[in-house]
Amino acid sequence: MAHEQVLIVPGRYNEIKRICEFVAAGAAEAGFDDDTIFHLELCCDEASTNIIEHAYGQEGAGNIVISYAIAEDEFTIVLRDNGQAFDPANVPPPPAISRESIPLDELANQMRIGGLGLHFIRNLMDEVTYSSDNRQGNRLVMVKKLQKDES
Amino acid sequence: MSVWQEKLPHSETWLIGVSGRLDQSLNPKLEETLNDLLENGHYSLVVDLTHATYINSGGLRCLVSAWRRAKAGQGTLTLCGLNARLQEIFAMVGFDKVFAIQDDCAAARGPARRGAHS
Repeated sequence: MAHEQVLIVPGRYNEIKRICEFVAAGAAEAGFDDDTIFHLELCCDEASTNIIEHAYGQEGAGNIVISYAIAEDEFTIVLRDNGQAFDPANVPPPPAISRESIPLDELANQMRIGGLGLHFIRNLMDEVTYSSDNRQGNRLVMVKKLQKDES
Repeated sequence: MSVWQEKLPHSETWLIGVSGRLDQSLNPKLEETLNDLLENGHYSLVVDLTHATYINSGGLRCLVSAWRRAKAGQGTLTLCGLNARLQEIFAMVGFDKVFAIQDDCAAARGPARRGAHS
């Protein structure tokens, strides 16, 4: 049986640290190491920022509901909001950056920085799914597998 | 958590220090500090991240924006003192290839420092 905790905060930047601390406490309880907890905090920070900036479009326009569930082999984080639908799948990843392959003058033009937060989430989480409907709002589910072979 | 700045002696370089988490609470202060320096024509910048424990995409965005402006002013923006977690974040998005990064902030502060991309 999964052990689940829920936190509801106003969609404001100064609440994001509380979201991160809430998830970090759950991740520590689940048995993740400090590096992984750091990654989970970053993902929750980025996801919450996207909710404020893209779903609500501003601070204070609605709540963020965050929950986590600890199961035997995975840790699931769910962020919900009632803002505009914002499907991360529609945001392309940033291009690979290589200082050796392109002149530096072109580099600045190639650096797309809008999708950096999603890039972190995609890279650091094992599963990321997004859904949206009029009744339940937007729902971002991020899953991190628990490594049971860790001592 | 704080951001501070100092002009390095015998140099046109300014050092900006960051202590704490570069998140939504501190990024605006860093952005304001860097913008103030750039608007006053100071294009040789070193950002000391020795005491920075965290950075999110907003912090990266802030540093990239300042790097672009410094470069446009024929200057440089060098980073130093990144811990392993910050280095990992920079590498994850390829920014370790963009910024001049020095492990040792004492070296980055040195008078013989040269722009890494010049």
